[in-house]
Amino acid sequence: MDLKSYNYAHFDEHIAEGAERGAATAFRDSFRVGERAEDFALLRLNDGARVELSDYWRSKPLVMEFGSFT
Amino acid sequence: MPHHDTFERKLAQARLLRDETGIRRPILVDDLSGTVHRKYGDMPNMTWILDRGGRVVYKANWTNAANVEAFLDRYLAARERRPPGAAQVMYETEQIEFRRTDAEQFQKHLLRNGPRAVEEFAKAKELWTRHAAG
Repeated sequence: MDLKSYNYAHFDEHIAEGAERGAATAFRDSFRVGERAEDFALLRLNDGARVELSDYWRSKPLVMEFGSFT
Repeated sequence: MPHHDTFERKLAQARLLRDETGIRRPILVDDLSGTVHRKYGDMPNMTWILDRGGRVVYKANWTNAANVEAFLDRYLAARERRPPGAAQVMYETEQIEFRRTDAEQFQKHLLRNGPRAVEEFAKAKELWTRHAAG
């Protein structure tokens, strides 16, 4: 997937391209329950620090919610 | 609201969303190509729960706060307060859930995001209807 289709400019075109079906499959095929998920470094909005997901799942579970809006 | 065409814009919109909705939890911002988002399945409103070491214990392609809370209560109780002498083993489950939609509220949010959001969502709805009709 290229930058333009991930950061789509028009929602209706995104849907017309079948993006939803692709996402449903990607969700199913990503990390499975019981497996270890992959760690990533991300930018924390409030202080601009680079943090790793594993900083959050070290001692207790991490609840990770993804958000998006049209 | 324009789409994300630079990382700076993505950051600015994340700040705006945080401030308008009053999110207090830590917000981690993915890169412009959505590397982490795509690795975790690319759906728009997922919740994942990752236990120590990154073990996936819950994944849902829609966020339902009550479900997340109920799951965490049950999971942590079982994991931490194992009755002495009692054996327990893990098992996995996959389920279908339903959610209510609130068209009026949704439309309000689209309006807040701009006339193009309203227009393009209406067009997408036509596509869904046409697709459902075959």
